[in-house]
Amino acid sequence: MSIGLILLGIVSALVLFGVAQRVLDKMQLSDRAALIIAAAIFFGGLIPDIRVGRVAFNLGGAAIPLGVCAWLLIKTDTKKEAVRALIGSVITAAAVFLLGKIMPDEPERIIIDPNYVYGLVGGGIAYLLGRSRRAAFICGVLGVVLADIAVAVVNWSKGIDQTLVLGGAGAMDTIVISGLLAVLLAELVGEIYERMARPHRRENSDPVDTPVRKGEKR
Amino acid sequence: MKRLLILVAALMLLSMPALADESRIFTIYDENGTEITQYAGLPDIGDEYIARNNGHYRIIAVDETKQRATAQALGAYSLPDVSWLTENAQPVSAGREKAVAIYCTHSDESYEPTDGVSSDEQRGGIYDVAENFKQALENKGITVYYSDETHHPHDSGAYRRSRSTAASLLENGVDAIFDIHRDGIPDPESYEGKIQGEDATMVRLLVGKSNQNASANKQFAAQIKAVADKMYPGLIKDIYIGKGSYNQDLLGQAVLLEFGTYTNEKGDVINSTGYMADVVNRTLYGGVSGPAGNKQSAPAKDHSGGMRGMIWLVIALVAGALIFAFVSTGRGRDTIHKFKRTFQEMGGGLFGGKKKE
Repeated sequence: MSIGLILLGIVSALVLFGVAQRVLDKMQLSDRAALIIAAAIFFGGLIPDIRVGRVAFNLGGAAIPLGVCAWLLIKTDTKKEAVRALIGSVITAAAVFLLGKIMPDEPERIIIDPNYVYGLVGGGIAYLLGRSRRAAFICGVLGVVLADIAVAVVNWSKGIDQTLVLGGAGAMDTIVISGLLAVLLAELVGEIYERMARPHRRENSDPVDTPVRKGEKR
Repeated sequence: MKRLLILVAALMLLSMPALADESRIFTIYDENGTEITQYAGLPDIGDEYIARNNGHYRIIAVDETKQRATAQALGAYSLPDVSWLTENAQPVSAGREKAVAIYCTHSDESYEPTDGVSSDEQRGGIYDVAENFKQALENKGITVYYSDETHHPHDSGAYRRSRSTAASLLENGVDAIFDIHRDGIPDPESYEGKIQGEDATMVRLLVGKSNQNASANKQFAAQIKAVADKMYPGLIKDIYIGKGSYNQDLLGQAVLLEFGTYTNEKGDVINSTGYMADVVNRTLYGGVSGPAGNKQSAPAKDHSGGMRGMIWLVIALVAGALIFAFVSTGRGRDTIHKFKRTFQEMGGGLFGGKKKE
């Protein structure tokens, strides 16, 4: 393999790592905790999948993101927010499952790559339900996991002996990408909404130092 | 409720191409109206096509109703130099394990004349082709990490499911990864041919352009074609560089191989796997020139594909961060401030240190 390809792989991993750290940092995690979790997702992804019967899961690609979801659900300010996040996850899962059926089966015929569209759906649903970054991450991750489980159940009911693999691609898995994208989308939509609602800021206000918008949860 | 309705409408918009397309076969013509090829999918403006004779085209118009696309001729595509390849050259040991990976994203794909169906919901005939390709590569001394995992159903989530398989295979440190498919073009003659007098089918190489490895993978596909054109003329049908990722973002030497089409005899398809294995072996590991094998020769390592990918990635990252910073601040000075801060935070404070609030 050429040096160019090796460098490309390293830079790709660094970019994803940086984005992951940045996103986790926005969800009530300290810089250090965000860095450790991002590293755990990356290095956990390198550990071979753990198999239990017809189910296999990857530490970095599924177990750690799901653990972060559980932690976020526990740390929600109100029970209502947790319920909203869970409802959003079920709606996202249904949307992911349906999109799998109604979108074209070849990537070239799909407007947005399937790896990204689920995160956008999760982020959109979470934002519409509660304007919450934490809910966006939960919807992005749990939505894809639940949809994968639904596909596996349908396959097994047809007698297809297929392993359900959760997060098998590690840090590059759709579960991780979906969670990160969902938060980024919620963040971007929130910023646009904020700009439209308040086009004229006071000169002495510093938008950089007000990362949580009014009426919005972390 | 209103919000959810908006969301449902957005989802419907995303699925519009599926609702619009009943048939999947597009015919691509040049600007003079001469047919160049057929494509089982929706061509996208900007897609590239390298024909069997190395004619290079770019799609400039697509008529979805008539299922036809027009391509602009860009001249002859300059394939990589394979002058190092001689007829008597024998593959050289790379000094370490020679390893590639093989898997099948569309587990149902089958060959109608032999398998009886074009799509088998349990396990398609494509696995027979992949297993023969694996065996042929192993006969060349290559270690093959092969996954016979299925990724049913054949829907838009298939590549998402096969992503796990591809990533697991890559953990073995392989030099290249191949996703084995068969095409959906109805005309068997479009793939039929003879290689060294034997009935065989041609192979189409498919490269996704929507990922950071697109340049590197295109270069890899061009190297395969250059080697094949010299060793087994007619084996490679063409190269299509289209929209999509096909999980090729995972490695810079990843190519989707369309072994014939569903109307071909599977035996003819399997015949081509041996030739293809030879081509892959020479492309990745070069050869030894001369009768005594005293002059080593190998494919030149071209770093440009990887470098282009890196530049593409960095530009996309910087552009994304700048757009985000501008959207959130709306002012030039604050945009730069937020942009700098974003990158400081991305490194967890390692680069430049994050300012304490």
